[in-house]
Amino acid sequence: MNLALKEMKKNKVRFVILGSIVFLVSLLTFIISGLANGLSQDNAALIKDLPAGQFYMNEDADETYNLSRIDSSTQDEILSKQKDAVAFSIQMGFINDKAGKQQSVAFVTATDSPLFANVKHQEIILDSSLKDKGIQIGDTVTNNQFSGKFIVKDFVEQKKYSHAPVAYISMEDYQEIYRVKEMQLVFTPDGDASQAYTGLQAFSKSDFLNTIPSYSAEQMSLNMIVWFLVVISGMLFAIFFYMMNVQKIGLYGILKAIGLKTSKLFKMIWTQMIVITVISLVLSITLSQVFNQFAPQGMPFSLSFATITQLSIVFLIIGFIGATISGIQIKKIQPLQAIQQGEV
Amino acid sequence: MTQFTMENVRKTFTNGEVQEEILKGINLTLKEGEVTALVGASGSGKSTLLTIAAGLQPTTDGQVIFEGKNMTTLSADQVRQVRASKFGFVFQFAHLVPFLTVEEQLLLMLEVSESPLKKHEQQREVERILKLVGMDHRKNAYPSSLSGGEKQRVAIARAIIHKPKVLFADEPTASLDSKRSKDVMELIRNLTKTLNITTLMVTHDEEMLMYTDQVIKMNDGKILQNVN
Repeated sequence: MNLALKEMKKNKVRFVILGSIVFLVSLLTFIISGLANGLSQDNAALIKDLPAGQFYMNEDADETYNLSRIDSSTQDEILSKQKDAVAFSIQMGFINDKAGKQQSVAFVTATDSPLFANVKHQEIILDSSLKDKGIQIGDTVTNNQFSGKFIVKDFVEQKKYSHAPVAYISMEDYQEIYRVKEMQLVFTPDGDASQAYTGLQAFSKSDFLNTIPSYSAEQMSLNMIVWFLVVISGMLFAIFFYMMNVQKIGLYGILKAIGLKTSKLFKMIWTQMIVITVISLVLSITLSQVFNQFAPQGMPFSLSFATITQLSIVFLIIGFIGATISGIQIKKIQPLQAIQQGEV
Repeated sequence: MTQFTMENVRKTFTNGEVQEEILKGINLTLKEGEVTALVGASGSGKSTLLTIAAGLQPTTDGQVIFEGKNMTTLSADQVRQVRASKFGFVFQFAHLVPFLTVEEQLLLMLEVSESPLKKHEQQREVERILKLVGMDHRKNAYPSSLSGGEKQRVAIARAIIHKPKVLFADEPTASLDSKRSKDVMELIRNLTKTLNITTLMVTHDEEMLMYTDQVIKMNDGKILQNVN
């Protein structure tokens, strides 16, 4: 006999109230998680979309990539040793569109590599978000530090850096704008930290992302909110079942006295926890996907299937822990207590 | 024929440095098909004796022999299994599961006792027992819609549905009025005789003694008088 479902059927209001709170908490968690992922993409899609590998910057740069200068001999040494390695630089700047309006961009230049867009002198490839600003392929754009003009050759999808669209330009044009000959960074796909180069500091991808100003601060605060909400949902289960168990001590004692196994009572609260969590998660996932479709344009929101699955599993585990903690009471209940108590 | 005996049963409670002996060497024999009443003043040890006999708390010393086995040497789970399959309980309050119908209360007991009956046989047995206690017309009712007497009848039905060998009743009529008390006691006596159950009951109500076969009077942890 499924005692869990029978109790839920008889006490619908009580369980609907708990379910609606879990639904709201999980919906908020999914939305904030979607925003955290969206902001993360908006801040560093250029780096996040690269494969796993090692980043190198000058050890004198104090972990600040735009202070890094890698001398050409070291760069040549790495590029000759590792065929897939690429040297690149990033600097924030702006372009003037054909109407003369300034658009913030992150200029990126790199040595020949399939990982970065390949552009020629006086050509520029832009992130597709600039299409919304009226820029089209074939347009001419300028930069105040550049003597020539750039022709927009193409657009790339979802390439952002520091919340600005990426603008790929040639090394020659980059050197003219920023008056530097050296590249800031070298990236070796599939490389590992054991490959050390004199005067360079190695970073994994996640370590490198954390050197980007604002990235770690932004992500840390959002992720903290997400994890707080997850913990709150676990506590909700613990408190809810604790209160229910306190009310049912007499009943549980009598059930134990007539011979019901304690494990059956645990299964009862676990079943109720799973039913409530699964229904709440299905509703909140559905609504967060609706939110994804109708979110205002420009709002960075990205909720992947992997994130949904990961958070759902965490919710179930936390709910299970919360319900189990409250169930420890059940284990302690002595049938005698119940017999000495009044009617439940 | 005798299936339940208690030999030199002692129970001592320790409260800090103070030790209090509640049962002082009880010897008792219960017979099949008989209702035995435990009577005595408050604190005489009758409820403690009932709960020890029912395997709800351990003895300090002595033996509780049921079907040839000393229950005091069994593990907690073995005692639980005996309670589930061989014992039935009726308490002062019915303690029915509030979210189960009358019929489901009985089906739950069959499940707890690991009844070998098939589903349709269980259903038939539930109907038979409900008819026996006069509650067949309320089988779909929840406890909240039953009167005190009806609840106690359902509690009795729950206590006997799995054909227990021993029925333990702790003040089964204490929460009922005089008429309903008599009805419930008549029911317990009839079931004891019909199903050949051994019944041990604690009561304060002397009027109920007319429904019993043996009366054991207790005082200060000892059996004062055993009247057949």
